[in-house]
Amino acid sequence: MKKVITGDHAVAIGAKLCRVDVVPAFPITPQTLIIEHIADFVNNGELDTKFLTMESEHSVMSAAAGASAAGARVFTATSSQGLAFMHEMLYAIAPLRLPVVMANASRTLGGPPGIWCEYNDSMGARDSGWLQLYVEDNQEALDMIIQSFRIAEDKRVLLPVMPCLDGFVLTHTVEPVDIPSQEDVDSLLAPYEPDIVLDPERPAMIGTFMPAEYIMELRRQTVGAFECAKDVIREVNTEFAQKFGRDYGGLVDTYRMDDAKIALITMGTVTSTSREVVDELRQKGEKVGIIKLRFFRPFPCEDLKKLASNLDALGVFDRSISYHGGGPVYNEVRSALFGMTIPVINHLAGLGGRDVTEEQIFKMFELTSRAAKGEKVKEVNWHNTRGETV
Amino acid sequence: MIKIKELSDVNLFTSGHTACPGCGVALSIRNAIRVLGKDTAVYVPASCAVVFGTTFPYGAWKVPFFHTAFENTGACLTGMQAAFEKKGKKVTVVGFAGDGGTYDIGLQSMSGAAERNEDVIYICLDNEAYMNTGIQRSGGTPFGAWTTTTPVGSKIQGNQRFKKNLGDIVVAHEVPYYATLSIGHPLDFIRKVEKAKNMKGFRFLHMFTPCIPGWKMDPSKTVEVTKRAVESGMWTLYEVENGEKKVTYKPGKMRSVKDYLNMQGRFRHMSEEDVNKLQMWVCKKWNLHYREKGAPDVCEIAPHDERHAITEEHREMHGP
Amino acid sequence: MFEVRFHGRGGQGAVMAAQTLAEAAVNEDNYAVAFPFFGAERRGAPVLAFTRIDAKKIYSKTQVYAPDCVIVLDDSLLDTIDVVSGLKPDGMVIINSKEDPDDIDLGISFRTATVNATSIALEILKAPITNTAILGAFAKATGLITIESLESSIKEKFGGKLGERAGERNALAARMAYEKTIIGTSRGIKKLESKKQWLPAYQDIPIGGALIEGKTQAGLIGPGSFIENKVSGWATFRPLRNKEKCTMCLLCWFYCPEGTIIRISDRGDLMTNYDYCKGCGICANECPVDAIKMTRARS
Repeated sequence: MKKVITGDHAVAIGAKLCRVDVVPAFPITPQTLIIEHIADFVNNGELDTKFLTMESEHSVMSAAAGASAAGARVFTATSSQGLAFMHEMLYAIAPLRLPVVMANASRTLGGPPGIWCEYNDSMGARDSGWLQLYVEDNQEALDMIIQSFRIAEDKRVLLPVMPCLDGFVLTHTVEPVDIPSQEDVDSLLAPYEPDIVLDPERPAMIGTFMPAEYIMELRRQTVGAFECAKDVIREVNTEFAQKFGRDYGGLVDTYRMDDAKIALITMGTVTSTSREVVDELRQKGEKVGIIKLRFFRPFPCEDLKKLASNLDALGVFDRSISYHGGGPVYNEVRSALFGMTIPVINHLAGLGGRDVTEEQIFKMFELTSRAAKGEKVKEVNWHNTRGETV
Repeated sequence: MIKIKELSDVNLFTSGHTACPGCGVALSIRNAIRVLGKDTAVYVPASCAVVFGTTFPYGAWKVPFFHTAFENTGACLTGMQAAFEKKGKKVTVVGFAGDGGTYDIGLQSMSGAAERNEDVIYICLDNEAYMNTGIQRSGGTPFGAWTTTTPVGSKIQGNQRFKKNLGDIVVAHEVPYYATLSIGHPLDFIRKVEKAKNMKGFRFLHMFTPCIPGWKMDPSKTVEVTKRAVESGMWTLYEVENGEKKVTYKPGKMRSVKDYLNMQGRFRHMSEEDVNKLQMWVCKKWNLHYREKGAPDVCEIAPHDERHAITEEHREMHGP
Repeated sequence: MFEVRFHGRGGQGAVMAAQTLAEAAVNEDNYAVAFPFFGAERRGAPVLAFTRIDAKKIYSKTQVYAPDCVIVLDDSLLDTIDVVSGLKPDGMVIINSKEDPDDIDLGISFRTATVNATSIALEILKAPITNTAILGAFAKATGLITIESLESSIKEKFGGKLGERAGERNALAARMAYEKTIIGTSRGIKKLESKKQWLPAYQDIPIGGALIEGKTQAGLIGPGSFIENKVSGWATFRPLRNKEKCTMCLLCWFYCPEGTIIRISDRGDLMTNYDYCKGCGICANECPVDAIKMTRARS
């Protein structure tokens, strides 16, 4: 069934189709529509879930932890300052291996305060132990809620997952979304049945005080789960594609990369706009393509190495800044491509929700192409920024 | 009502835990869980009780135990209870938080759970300072007390504020049950835990739990000092059930606060003036609390101040 | 470099002792560092502290693995901990004990000094806090620092923290211990058993560290497994109950924070499991008929 809905609505429908047991909630723009839709589902009897109106995001993630440890499938959503307020709890629950799924409506993390799209909220949580992915459109937003639960609850993974959707650009934009049937989702996602839960019949201790003799091993174990997650993400993608006919490629997706010599790594909705730009450049005969970075955690080092091996130059789009210089994606990519000699050029754009136009994306390809030809190009380029030249 | 003799022999909080000798928190936990029984799941926020109750791979709890952080007891209990309810499991969900985790950093989370009337039991183990980090002042620290952040200096000596009235804050949420408990009054203690267990909604048990190193006292005096606290009015035993307040134990005669302070090194430095100041506070609380008719809002134990002269009424009430 | 490892129990002042020793060494124109094993132990639980002394600046920030001297503030630790672990062959052991060194069995022969620091502490400080007394024994046994410089460090450190009089008394405790220290050689009869510990590889730790009741080669783990932790060594005193006087009111049973008092004989009698008694004395203090007396443990 096709419906013309916002990204937030799509996410809420995704959570509903996953038959989530518990949803602790707290409002924050531009995520609020998600919890409002879920509240509607619950109060209209469409969804049998414990909807908890918490008094802060920290309490949202705390309630999520408690519910998940007690065996419930837990969903919630947040954004920006809310994610920052949860920060402690993000770190608390990932190593405890509680597979909560939380949508993050990407929004600039103040100060200075703002409500529009930037990735500095989720990037700050990149080493909290959550899997992190970025979606391109409302359909992917819905589909990835379903996939996220499958990935999170896989016994090889058991990690929380954070699907991120661009604030306003997706959360408040309507477009057609194909809503899967409950039957089909049920066949993909079995009820959550963890091995160890808080159960008086079989008491467990979860979150014990842990001396140094054990923590190193626990950290190593979590890294192992991240490794396994890569396989699981690919498997789930394949299975989902077979069932629903939508193949997202796994950790990364590509567009017109077969014979490409110049590529741009993109995330979120900028991927979508870039497709138009690539089509135009291809018409002019330029061999360009897009690498859509879907999962930032786990980071797809192997995929990127492989894709970069035939390139003359690689551009990296970043929607947040590490104040020492380039963006976090750029730094990760450079690290992943260590030993390779092609130029890697960072393109910073869209911070604070500034619109990322086609014109800027053309410029990104142009600069990357010039670097490929051996011209001197700055490593880090601030697009559409007064006082900077690109 | 359960009598001491009828309490279970089963240790749901086992021996071998690593609490200090004479720990009031360990004593309270052991007996609370004894009454609450095995169909219980507990959340313990950051506190001594996390460390002495569980140190990987060991644990004293024989009921499900969960811990994540410091300030989120109310919220974690909310989540646990929601999951159990969704799964149709009958489990008593209980939090054991300290005074820091309740009066201060955890106040918001507790308030949220109270306001939503979550079906959980919130137990505050009040030892009147951040003991796990090595004795720092909290909102529950009494006036005059030495802590490492209210040291006895040449200019300022001890805590300058009076203990926060947490009871009234909790009760203002119109919760079904709030009670204060003392381990020195076992029958009252058992009755209140049992009552809370058999009720629905947000129940708050406020336990007075001496800390041997924090209060600088002899470990054998844990129970005695609790009794002394009640006799002096520093701690009062009451319950508020659906808005109805009831004093559950009234000492026959008010004891001087000095008798309580003298048992503990944390008050040793207090000047006569400060002791009097605290005594005034206690008297005011005592009079309000026990609704003593005709008692002026002053105290007969306070000397050196003509305005607070001892009245005949006072003498009658409290003895010479 | 001279490295010292202190074995004590929380509350005995092992960390203060390590720091005071460092100060005394610095007073004699050495360089010294002192640090605790960064644990979260409570009063009575075994703790470690370390002091390093050298003529030149010390850069090492690791724990001490091969000490030149081991100081044991509480001889009950000898039953459960291999205190001489890693001790250099020509190293020295200093123990708070009423025994002669030659009667102490460490499972291996080492130069050993003993002093009854607990008695000295109880006599002079009125509390079983043995850290200053044992330092007096260290000065005597090793000659590494003089008793005079130790006394002045103690006065400074303890005096500054607890008041001048406490400083004086602690210095006196050190002096008295200095004079009463006996030096000899420990015996090597008992078989040293290294403490069993469950140390799984990362693949074998339960996921997320969540534990249910379980058993490993090193014993129980998970809920209720703290019964593996025998804490009797924490106790300075232990309760003795007079059965004749006891009225079975059960207050001691209720008030025991450890759960060491157990109902037996179909609940007609009580028994104390001393494995878990930390000697707090609440039972004796609260017994309404004075049926319980506290006596020195291990006497």
